[in-house]
Amino acid sequence: MENAKISPRQLFVLIILFQLGSSLLIPVGLTAKQDAWLAVLGGMVGGLLLFLLYYKVGSYYPGLVPTEYMAKIWGPFFGKIFAFLYVLYLFYLAARVLRDYGEMLVIFAYPETPLFIVNLLWMVLVVYTVRKGIETLARTGEILFVVVSILALTSLLLLVLNGSIDTKNLQPVLEEGPVTLIKAIGESVFFPFGEIVVFTMIYPYLNQLKKAKRVGLYALLFSGFVLSVTMAVNLSVLGFSLLSRSNFPLLSTIQTINVAEFLERLDVFFMIGVVIGGFFKITIFFYVAVMGATSLFKVKESSHLVFPLGFITLFLSVGIASNFSEHIQEGLDIVPLYLHLPFQVIFPLLLLVSVVLKNRKKQKKQLAMK
Amino acid sequence: MSPFFKGKKNADQNKPVDPMPGAITSSLQDNLAWVKQKFGNSPDIIIRELKIGSSKVKAAVIYVQGLVDNQLLNDFLIESLMQYDSSSQDETRTQMLDNLSDLVIPMGGVKEETEWSKLFESLLVGATLIIIDGTDKALTVASTQGGESRSISEPTTQNVIRGSRESFTENLSTNISMVRRIIRTPDLWVESMKIGTQTNTNVSIMYLNNVVDHDVVKEVKKRLKRIKIDSILESGYIEQLIEDQPASPFPQIYHTERPDVIAGNLLEGRVAIFVNGTPFVLLVPVVFIQFFQTPDDYYFRFDIASATRLLRIFIFFISLIGPAAYIAATTYHQEMIPTHLLLIIAAQRESVPFPAVIEALIMELAFEVLREAGLRLPKAIGSTVSIVGGLVIGQAAVQAGIVSPPMVIVVAITAIASFATPSFAVAISVRLLRFAFMGLAAAFGFFGIIVGLIMLTVHLCGLRSFGVPYMAPLGPYRPVESGDTVIRAPWWAAKKRPGLFSPNNVKREAGSQMPAPPQPRTIKSESTEKGNQNES
Repeated sequence: MENAKISPRQLFVLIILFQLGSSLLIPVGLTAKQDAWLAVLGGMVGGLLLFLLYYKVGSYYPGLVPTEYMAKIWGPFFGKIFAFLYVLYLFYLAARVLRDYGEMLVIFAYPETPLFIVNLLWMVLVVYTVRKGIETLARTGEILFVVVSILALTSLLLLVLNGSIDTKNLQPVLEEGPVTLIKAIGESVFFPFGEIVVFTMIYPYLNQLKKAKRVGLYALLFSGFVLSVTMAVNLSVLGFSLLSRSNFPLLSTIQTINVAEFLERLDVFFMIGVVIGGFFKITIFFYVAVMGATSLFKVKESSHLVFPLGFITLFLSVGIASNFSEHIQEGLDIVPLYLHLPFQVIFPLLLLVSVVLKNRKKQKKQLAMK
Repeated sequence: MSPFFKGKKNADQNKPVDPMPGAITSSLQDNLAWVKQKFGNSPDIIIRELKIGSSKVKAAVIYVQGLVDNQLLNDFLIESLMQYDSSSQDETRTQMLDNLSDLVIPMGGVKEETEWSKLFESLLVGATLIIIDGTDKALTVASTQGGESRSISEPTTQNVIRGSRESFTENLSTNISMVRRIIRTPDLWVESMKIGTQTNTNVSIMYLNNVVDHDVVKEVKKRLKRIKIDSILESGYIEQLIEDQPASPFPQIYHTERPDVIAGNLLEGRVAIFVNGTPFVLLVPVVFIQFFQTPDDYYFRFDIASATRLLRIFIFFISLIGPAAYIAATTYHQEMIPTHLLLIIAAQRESVPFPAVIEALIMELAFEVLREAGLRLPKAIGSTVSIVGGLVIGQAAVQAGIVSPPMVIVVAITAIASFATPSFAVAISVRLLRFAFMGLAAAFGFFGIIVGLIMLTVHLCGLRSFGVPYMAPLGPYRPVESGDTVIRAPWWAAKKRPGLFSPNNVKREAGSQMPAPPQPRTIKSESTEKGNQNES
């Protein structure tokens, strides 16, 4: 861990930018068709529960990151093995998100630029930021949050002025029945809300630890709300059939803006918003991965690891899938089941059970001593 | 080397090159000889030998020509020494020196010294030395300082429409007095030191004792004392030696030549660093947004001031990414340009043999050359440059088909924008970064520009100036100070000082200062009614 402190406000902003990052890019809960916005809200509730789980486990070891307290709960050997797996998971996610964004740019604007080159530019930015540390990242978040908010509100206003929002596209509600909705909710719990698990590596930096719970809950609520609104707007502008065929629904939505024959093709709005979101998503994943590796291998200066691990992540991002469809397929079928489920739900649950049992034993011992 | 040789070498080194000790002796002749030797008989060191009044004691007055006020020296000092009437014949020479200091010399700043180093130091800042035969003490008269110096004039780099017309001069004490005339409180403290082993430049720091953060004062003193250099010729030397992050292209210390700016910033809890010999005074700690503020922001009404501040931030972005955005839009994102405009641009670019980035680089370089030439040329032929530059670049380059007219427009707008940035220090950094952005735009289009901007934000957020985050109060966000950032809150709403710089004393205004004039139709109405009657 580096010697740094962030304020509750900064943590709030970081969580929101992180949550909105790739979920604005990749639509969430589309299994529920025009009820996707409801699925997002449901997923948020699941996310809140997961957050409370992580918070509960962390509250037994305030000021420690998961890679540290795993060793305390499960003993140095097993704890470190799980911590290592956890760090690998974080690196994989960092590479995944990097791939998402690299592919987005190649498809959207730079068909002739190699993916590797685009990812290289991303990684230069991310490595530079991670070397500067969490405080700098948090301050950057505060400033860029304002930029993203202004862009979002402007786009919404223009969409309304343009008259492209048609709420009929959202009807009929619950057409597919509650079972499909629940299935969609299940999908959106892991992505994006369950990814808040990475913030367990960041909570210890908070300068008012008491506020961690409230900040996390509010941030999740807020980002769930914004995501839901975004989904609803996308759906009502495009309609489900168009949306499901679009690579980047948000981009298609923004491209419908044409106010006064002058404000049109505002692709650059989409680009700014998505690049900022992607920046925070990749940077936070990469940052916690580096911090996890630092604490696991007891490296003195985390900055020594940033360059080599940055290169590994860069090559991993290019190598994890042979093309975009495969990448998406892995993301939809394999990652939630074999990665998200154990690391977001099973391991934290096991940790909680172990730590509760451990504490009970301790209490019993203390009682016996008395 | 054998101990024998070593010993010999040491003996050589110990042998004094100058036979004179560190302190003054009682022989006037020896003392004067030492002064002459030390200064290599320089003709501007004037040694006036005289006899003190009726006592006929030999004495000497030593001063540096040009550093002293001649009239003051002749009329008061030398005259009163010559007319001194010793009251008792048996007074010793030391008593005589005391009497001279206490009774005779009608001037301030008289001090007794024995050390040569101190004597020379005061001699070189314009004091006059009085040495009397037969004592091992001397008098220094500091108030004979004078000589030619530039008078106070209007500021040349920070012009304002409304506000004081004074600017600092090269003289340190004049500069300090100009601030003292604005803030008249004993809490305005000044501390001074000398930096530079050869130049012995006077450097003073000034702060408001009851407002400033004393940790910052300590840090400033620590960093100034760290400096071991032979010369300080301008405050820029100090700026570069005490910065937090020397590798950053952005200035982390503010400099100004306006006393009202210094006063305003001292009142917010900053520390000013005055350096003798330059009208530019340094201010620490600073935040980035400060470089977008001008003094008249605070003098004009707040709505106007806020609007111009927003404009300046807009200007900053134009001057940073103007050409880069043009390159990106024409090279990668043609679909983002409205069709009609695109057709016009395409038609005009048809004959241009270069890609947009080369075109932009040619124009930008040409402009930088013009600007540099205009800066260095004698004034008389300055207009030649503007005619040649305007004709060649504006007309001929376009007619020859080397660059397209839209490119000329973009470069011109960028150039004007970079001149409209209030702080030259930031404008010059932006000039440098503009080329980096052009490169990013040529390679990655808007994605490159956005990545560049994010990286810039990260860089700025990572900077600190004397412990204060550079992007504060925006990142980290501080509600109190944010009233003086992209907008300027009205004075009656700025109840608190920025706690970033003055954590201890934050109250600036008492209660509600919002103007609340009496309701209309009470006082005013009578006079208007009268006026109506008169008119009718």
